[in-house]
Amino acid sequence: MKGAISLRFRLLLAMFGPLAALALVLGLLGWVLISDVVRRTNDRVLGGALGAIAETVQVERGEVTLDLPPAAFGMLENSERDNVYYRIAVGRTLLTGYADLPAPDISVLSVDEPRFRFAQFHGQRIRIAEIRRNLPRIDEPVVVQVAETLQNRNSLRDKLMIALLIGECVLVGIVLLLIRPALGWSLRPLSDLRGVIEARDTRAAPDLSPLRTGPLPTELRPLSRSFDRLLARLDDATTGMRRFTADASHQMRTPLSVLKVQVALARRGSGEALHEIEEATDRLERLLTQLLTLARADEAGVLPPDHEIDLKELSQHVISRRIRQAIEADVELLLEAGDGPYRIHGHRTLVFEMLSNLVDNAIRYNRPGGMAQIELSAEAGVVRLAVVDTGPGIPAELREMAMSRFARLQGERGPPGSGLGLAIVKSTAERMGAQLELGDATPGLWVTVTFTV
Amino acid sequence: MRILIVEDDAALARGILSLLRAAGHAVDHVAGGEEALSVSATEPYSLVILDVGLPDIDGFQVLARLRARGDQSQVLMLTARDGLDDRVRGLDLGADDYLRKPFEVEELEARVRALGRRRGGDAAPEIAIGAMTVNRSTGRVEVAGRLIELRRREWAVLEALAARAGQIVNRETLQAEVFGFDDPVGSNALEVNVTRLRSKLAPDGPAIRTVRGVGYMLDPSTGSG
Repeated sequence: MKGAISLRFRLLLAMFGPLAALALVLGLLGWVLISDVVRRTNDRVLGGALGAIAETVQVERGEVTLDLPPAAFGMLENSERDNVYYRIAVGRTLLTGYADLPAPDISVLSVDEPRFRFAQFHGQRIRIAEIRRNLPRIDEPVVVQVAETLQNRNSLRDKLMIALLIGECVLVGIVLLLIRPALGWSLRPLSDLRGVIEARDTRAAPDLSPLRTGPLPTELRPLSRSFDRLLARLDDATTGMRRFTADASHQMRTPLSVLKVQVALARRGSGEALHEIEEATDRLERLLTQLLTLARADEAGVLPPDHEIDLKELSQHVISRRIRQAIEADVELLLEAGDGPYRIHGHRTLVFEMLSNLVDNAIRYNRPGGMAQIELSAEAGVVRLAVVDTGPGIPAELREMAMSRFARLQGERGPPGSGLGLAIVKSTAERMGAQLELGDATPGLWVTVTFTV
Repeated sequence: MRILIVEDDAALARGILSLLRAAGHAVDHVAGGEEALSVSATEPYSLVILDVGLPDIDGFQVLARLRARGDQSQVLMLTARDGLDDRVRGLDLGADDYLRKPFEVEELEARVRALGRRRGGDAAPEIAIGAMTVNRSTGRVEVAGRLIELRRREWAVLEALAARAGQIVNRETLQAEVFGFDDPVGSNALEVNVTRLRSKLAPDGPAIRTVRGVGYMLDPSTGSG
């Protein structure tokens, strides 16, 4: 996948970085430790040889003498054939040995305490052990020096370092080799989960029930839960959609049947049929408009409430659109409002459709000579919109049912409705967080929508 | 024949009513299930056209209760629903036929005719009585090759009598089968129709005998042929 590093690579990187740093630190530490140990052990041998030689330095008849013990040099023999040098001097005067072996500063040497130092001799680095002895009746101090080249020390140190590095490399190598199978094993629950999800994908009708994954590791549980929640919401949405389309098609079948029957009658010469056909087409048209409005109201949940709406101006607009219908039905259409302002925030088209449906209902389910009135009022924090008619009203026990989709009330209540008007009002009010209430206007219906400002 | 339409949609009911009345049937309409049960208890409907989606009790319940009290009327279910379950359920409850909205008018008419024929126990569309043949599908009546023009009520009387040729049909039964309760019926309307029918079938068609105090009978042994 482009843009994202694979999990394997991430983990590999995350583990290899620190591992390499750790190996480096271990190597450096090893170097210091090994050098120190090698230096100490060899110094001990060198010090031993020095001591053995220094022991033999004596005063004989006022002369400094010595008897170089072969064992002392034997101690220093090794496989690397290091060169061994020595120098014994009384004060600055050479007694025996290599005259050009770097002489120490006598004043810093303490008596009978061997001192070790590195020096350069004939182009090689050497290790010098030196000791100062004060002999009786000899004025000047005697300085004994034994030195060796460093081949043995270096080779020992190198061997140890190589062993250490090989050990480290093996360790890092094993870890790197193990990462792949370990990752595969750790990530198996993830691929199992993927398998379960993929299995859903292949079905003709997607199965939106919660995933049945079996026990999951803690890290994957939130993922599976989120996925299940998403599935549940999808399920709700598709179920709602399916029910809605079923209801909608169901609802269109009756007016379509009317059309078919009346067309047949018209063909057989019925004069009444044309009028019936006209009514049925009006009904279908209204049903379609309302279905679209309802779909829009359902969908509008995702839209932000972005308009400032003046309900008074909106009411006037609705009345001007409905006035012809009202005149034809012999219903007086009124607006009762103060100076305002009746400002709310919301989706303008939705509020328009809601009010339009309320007014349509008020005209439709009314009586000739009746009245339909929009009333606006404002209080602290709320704006109230009421539509009152002089029709037959809705009995209290049926009001809840009347607001559900495709609800048709029993009995003859004027022209056939689609059963969607109040459902649209309810859906819109819910979207806008407004309160919808049906009441009695004795006689007639009183619908109140309360908007929180 | 006498038909009851149970349909809550007034416009559709008006349409079906016009259709079936034009075909010579006596048709009544009610909008609710309870009302359907109460009128069918007193009127001898041959056929009930029953919508499933009714506002009070649904069509299935109406059907179940009709059958439970032994009502033998033919029932044609009308539904706006698609599901196979609904059709099976309706037929299992004792519906005789099933029609889905929106339906073709010709299909409704044909099914109503077919159900009407089945009522007499004889599903054949054509009945021959003496020199007369009555085609219940086309409404065509011929006596000795001569086409008889009948008015709608006359046809209803003939159809009712021909389905039970040779049997006495009770006067009240015939009255109820020929007229719906919305029909403006004079006290002698049935007699008038019977008399007119009688004269149209004469001289070579089968006679319609009046059995005083009981009813009428189409006599298959009369007429030439």
